[in-house]
This record gives sequence, structure tokens and C-alpha cells, in this order.
Amino acid sequence: MIELLAQTGLNAVYAASYIALVAVGLVLIFGVMGVINFAHGELFMAGAYTVVALYASRDVPFILAVAAGLVFVGGLGLFMERTMFRPLRDNPLGGLVASIGFLMILQAAAAMGFGVRKEHIPPVTQQVIEFSEKVRLPMARLYVIVAAIVILLALWYFLKRTRFGWALRASAQDPEAAELQGISINQTARIAMFIGAAMAGIAGALTAPLVSVNPHMGHSVIVTAFIVIIVGGVGSLEGAVLASIAYALVHTFVTTFWDGVIADIVGLSLMLLVLIVRPTGLFGSADRA
Amino acid sequence: MLLEMKGVSAGYGRAPAIRDISISVPQGAIITIIGANGAGKTTTLRAMSGMLPLMAGEITFEGKRIDGLPASRVVAHGIAHVPEGRRVFPDMTVEENLRTGAFLRRDRDGIEADLRDVYARFPRLEERRRQRAQTLSGGEQQMLAIGRALMSKPRLLLMDEPSMGLAPVIVEEIARIIEEIHARGLSVVLVEQNAELALELADHAYVLETGNCALQGPARELHDNEHVRAAYLGI
Repeated sequence: MIELLAQTGLNAVYAASYIALVAVGLVLIFGVMGVINFAHGELFMAGAYTVVALYASRDVPFILAVAAGLVFVGGLGLFMERTMFRPLRDNPLGGLVASIGFLMILQAAAAMGFGVRKEHIPPVTQQVIEFSEKVRLPMARLYVIVAAIVILLALWYFLKRTRFGWALRASAQDPEAAELQGISINQTARIAMFIGAAMAGIAGALTAPLVSVNPHMGHSVIVTAFIVIIVGGVGSLEGAVLASIAYALVHTFVTTFWDGVIADIVGLSLMLLVLIVRPTGLFGSADRA
Repeated sequence: MLLEMKGVSAGYGRAPAIRDISISVPQGAIITIIGANGAGKTTTLRAMSGMLPLMAGEITFEGKRIDGLPASRVVAHGIAHVPEGRRVFPDMTVEENLRTGAFLRRDRDGIEADLRDVYARFPRLEERRRQRAQTLSGGEQQMLAIGRALMSKPRLLLMDEPSMGLAPVIVEEIARIIEEIHARGLSVVLVEQNAELALELADHAYVLETGNCALQGPARELHDNEHVRAAYLGI
């Protein structure tokens, strides 16, 4: 029993890692630009397909394929900022609707380019860390966990300790006052969009060999990310990380001891419960970011 | 003239909120704009700092045209704007707020020196440097907003209602601070509802009424003007 708990705990940590990467990026974009990016799950998918295109089909080393995913999806983020979110800045629903359109375009592009079948991606490594006979952590999962921790710490350092990090937080908290300090809102929007998209891209790229890659894989990812963000408190990066961990624990344990459908129901019920008890989320305040 | 605003009309939507406003700020002066709620004081200030595009007219600062520039570029020319309602960054610490005021500067030593200078001027901000700005009192937030503006090393300071919502003792303190800043050679444009205070501090005053400049003149003269006394000083 102890071993089953330990194994489930390890699975939960892995799930929390990539959920947190996706959710934190989504919160960052919402905080700085005030836009709910519905295409965020498809950015995750685009990261996964970069690995399909380079690593699975062309024998590019995995690490380079992941780096390419980061750059490519970050670039998609810059494209979205320039062509959709910036022209629609004064229209509160415009960005959201445009991102839903872009989501469909990305799904269609993936289906046209790769077909709707599940992609087979050769494992990056067969190595497994064996804590005991029944408690095992595949190396490929450890990569995801380590990468998530490194990226989240780097983001924390950037936001708290650097000039541009302050600029990003300032424009999330009060865009007008930020402009009065000489901070260009277009520039902070670009930075936030690149970082947020790149985080989704790298999460998709890293997990590609471990999940089922298909053009519609973004859907479950974004639903999970939304639950996590609402539970954590809209606009709170720390809240998103902690809620990712909490959600992954609950979801993984319920999946292991009952099944995945019940786990989804439990996850959504938890979100409803949080909304009833604390409408601003566990770590949210009435203000944004 | 340090700043010259000529025939400016500006506003939100189609109808201008201010019409044909001309204001001159001589080097080293305190200019005040007084008027009732909705007279266009804040609109005038926002037009100066580039927060609002002009519908007509022009603005020059140190001889260079600055109208049409985005607000984030106007700061670089040496104009700092302390907005109405203070607008400090609530979830950032006092020190992060101040350093964000120096966003465009690259002279590290100068920034550190100015930070020490702001702390010397506002010891309460130094005591609270690691506290989040939203935990400060109204008066402290106003000091933080002024300190943040000073961190950009401006030559002209635009202040929008610095006395708003503050207790009389604190208003006195803010007035003293404005005089001190001015004594150090900074020029100031002060927008105030508290006309008594504004006319006491300023050299020259403009009176706005429903978007038009109704009166202007040396602050002392306006203070004795019958219309101003009746309408704004309540005497």
C-alpha cells in the first residue's frame, strides 16, 4: 500500500510539472494583456508536433527538437500578439474570440500536416529509476519534472529581480501607471506572450513521447489549466503553481484508486467548491495580478 | 519656456473635453490648474504627458514637439506624471515601485543615489521598503507616487490632485514636499481641487471652467479675484 501511494505521488508530481508550465504561462498572458488565450492548449499541441516533425521523423536529437519547440511556439505567441491581441486591445472579448479562431486554425493545420492519427514517438530513454520493485520513475518523466522546476524558478527570478520583470508586473497591475514610468505596453505584451507561449510549447515538446499526440490533444490540457487557474486565483502565479500541485495530486490519486472519469468529475467539483467558498480563488485578491 | 501648450483640444470620444487651452510653464515655476470637478483639469494634464492624443494644438517641451508621442516616450524627455489616485503598483514592494520609476535610466550609480535621496526625503518609505505598496496609508502612497516620479530624474513634474482624500495634517506635509521639490529647481504643474492650497503654492494659475480657460494670471492676483473667491475659495 505504501508503495502504491509513493508511486501515485510520483505520478502526481510529474502531472503537476507540465500542468504548472501551461497554467503559469496562461496566467502570465492574462495578467499582462488581460486576454484569455483559448489557443493555449493548441500551443502545447504545437510544441508536441515540433518534436514529432524533428525528433520522430527526422532524427534530430530530442533536446534540439525541444529547443526548436520553445522557439517555434514562442514565435507563434509573438505572431498572435501582433496580429490579434494588439489590434483588439480595446475590445474585451475580441482577443478571446480571435484566440478561439486561431485554435481551430492550429488544429486544422496539424490535421492537414500530420493526419488525425495518434503519432508514434520513439521513447527518448528507456532508463528507469527504481526506488523499489513497485516504485519506479521513468527517466523521461524526471526530465519533465526537472525542466519545470528550472523554468519556474527562472521565471520567478526574472519577475522579482530584473528590470524587465518589474516592468511586466507593473503593466499587469496598472498598465497606465506603467506607461507613465516609460514602460511600453507593446513591449511588455510581447515579452509576456513569448514567455507564456514558449512555456506551453516546451511543456508539449517535453511530454510528447509520454502522451498521446494528436491534433485535439490541447483540449484536455486547457480545461485542466482553467480549473487550476480558477482554483489558484485568477492572476496569481504562485496560486497557479500550488493549485497545479493540488489538482495533480487529487486527480492522480482518484484516477489510480477509481478511474479517470471520476477524477475529472472530482476535479471540476473542487473548482465549483472553491468558487462557492472563495470566489477569488485560494490565492487571488480582488485586484488583477 | 520649459513647456508650452498651444491651442490644445483633447478628450474622449468625439467631443473634446478641453478646448483651445494654452498654458506656458516657465523654467523653475509652479503652475497650477484649478477648477471644479469635470472642468478638464485631469484631461489637460493627461494631454501634456501623452496619455491622451490631441485633437488640435501642439505641445513643446524644451523647444521640442512632444505631442503625438506615446506616454512611455514622453517620460524619456524629462516629464514625470504623478497620476490622480496615486496609482502605485499595489503588489510590488515600496522599493520595487521606486526602482520601476527609474525604468528608462541606465546610470546605475545615479539611480542608487536618487534612491537614497528619496529615502532621505521620505524616511517612512525607507522603513517600509520591503512592504507591498497596497499596505501603505493614503499619505504614504502619495509620497511613494511622488518618489517614483522623482526616480525618473524629471525636469518637470505633473501632479494630479496630490491632496485628494488625505487628512489636513498630511495635506500640509504634501505641500511642504512640493515646495521642497521646487526649491531644488524642479518645475511643477499642479492640478488641484483644493484651490486655497494650490494658489498658495503656485506662481501662476489657470482657471478651467467646462473645458475652457476662464481666467489666468499670477496666483496672488487670482487669490484676490472676486469670481475665484466666490466660486473656488468659498469666501
